[in-house]
Amino acid sequence: MTLKSCTHEREVTALLQSGHWPLACGPELRAHVDACSRCSDLVLVTQAFQQGRVASEGRARLNSPGVVWWRAQLRQRNTALQQIARPIQGAQIFALIVSVVVAVGFVVSQARHGLGWLSWWSGLRQTQAFHLETLWSFGSMTSDWSLAVLIAGFGALVLLSGVVLYLAFERK
Amino acid sequence: MTWEYVLPKIDTGEAALAATELPMDNDAFAQFYERSARSLWAYLARVSGDPALADDLMQESYVRLLCASRLDEGEIVSRRYLFRIATNLLRDHWRRPKSTSIEELPEELFSTGDGSASLDSKAMLGRAMALMRPRDRQLLWLAHAEAYSHHEIAEITGLGKASVRLLLFRARRKVAGFLRDQGAGDRTEI
Repeated sequence: MTLKSCTHEREVTALLQSGHWPLACGPELRAHVDACSRCSDLVLVTQAFQQGRVASEGRARLNSPGVVWWRAQLRQRNTALQQIARPIQGAQIFALIVSVVVAVGFVVSQARHGLGWLSWWSGLRQTQAFHLETLWSFGSMTSDWSLAVLIAGFGALVLLSGVVLYLAFERK
Repeated sequence: MTWEYVLPKIDTGEAALAATELPMDNDAFAQFYERSARSLWAYLARVSGDPALADDLMQESYVRLLCASRLDEGEIVSRRYLFRIATNLLRDHWRRPKSTSIEELPEELFSTGDGSASLDSKAMLGRAMALMRPRDRQLLWLAHAEAYSHHEIAEITGLGKASVRLLLFRARRKVAGFLRDQGAGDRTEI
């Protein structure tokens, strides 16, 4: 299929768009359109589509522009709120990562220093600190220093994890 | 350093909430809507062949236009951009996998057949359009019903200008053939 151009096509298009076809054009142009397949296609199709457009526009069921306006405002607002929430989510993820790193570091350091820690674990029942009355005694705490560090570290870890979990799930 | 200093937008939220302002006021939008909505609906309904889908896509097109902040470039540009959004929405709709659920079918399929839609389906253009490919319908409507130039159609559809010219030529020839055949058929029946 070749794209043959016609010199009258632009003129015919302008007449059709302005609504001047066929009354406001000369007999030569009309004779040309009858003879030229490209221009006759143009006239036939453009007139059919213009009539179709008028018919379709008459059938349009339009909503109130206020409803569309309100929907657009709502969507814009939701998008803005999502943008606000993005740095908060970043902070939550950061806090979670820090908490996990601290926990892992704590466990590793305890494992390294503590073959004593393991021996302490196995010998826990034999220590004085296991007895309730000795827990209240400051003297016994100083004598069993590693136990105090362990309890304090474990407590801090639990507290930090609770805060992180609260921050992470607060929005949900 | 305070928490508000690190994340200033969390504290006030003003900057983000200022972005919720739409680029056109309600009255100006209402006027633009009145001038453009009927022709946009006609485009969507004729190209998709589904008036219910045209209703949905028209609303979505206006919402996206309002959120896109491109209404300060004049009505002609905004109108062209509106048709571009609608064209993309139609394309997305056609790309989506088809559902066979009964809820998805347009209401017109269940109508008794005495409405204007069924009258229109008897018109020659409706039958000819149904025989064309969706892209050809888009090109023909934009060129002959909306009177857009090849350059404008290229902008709206995302096709190259040369492609638009060639595709439009082929589509016009094809639809003219359908229209002539149907016209001759109708005359024969009479």
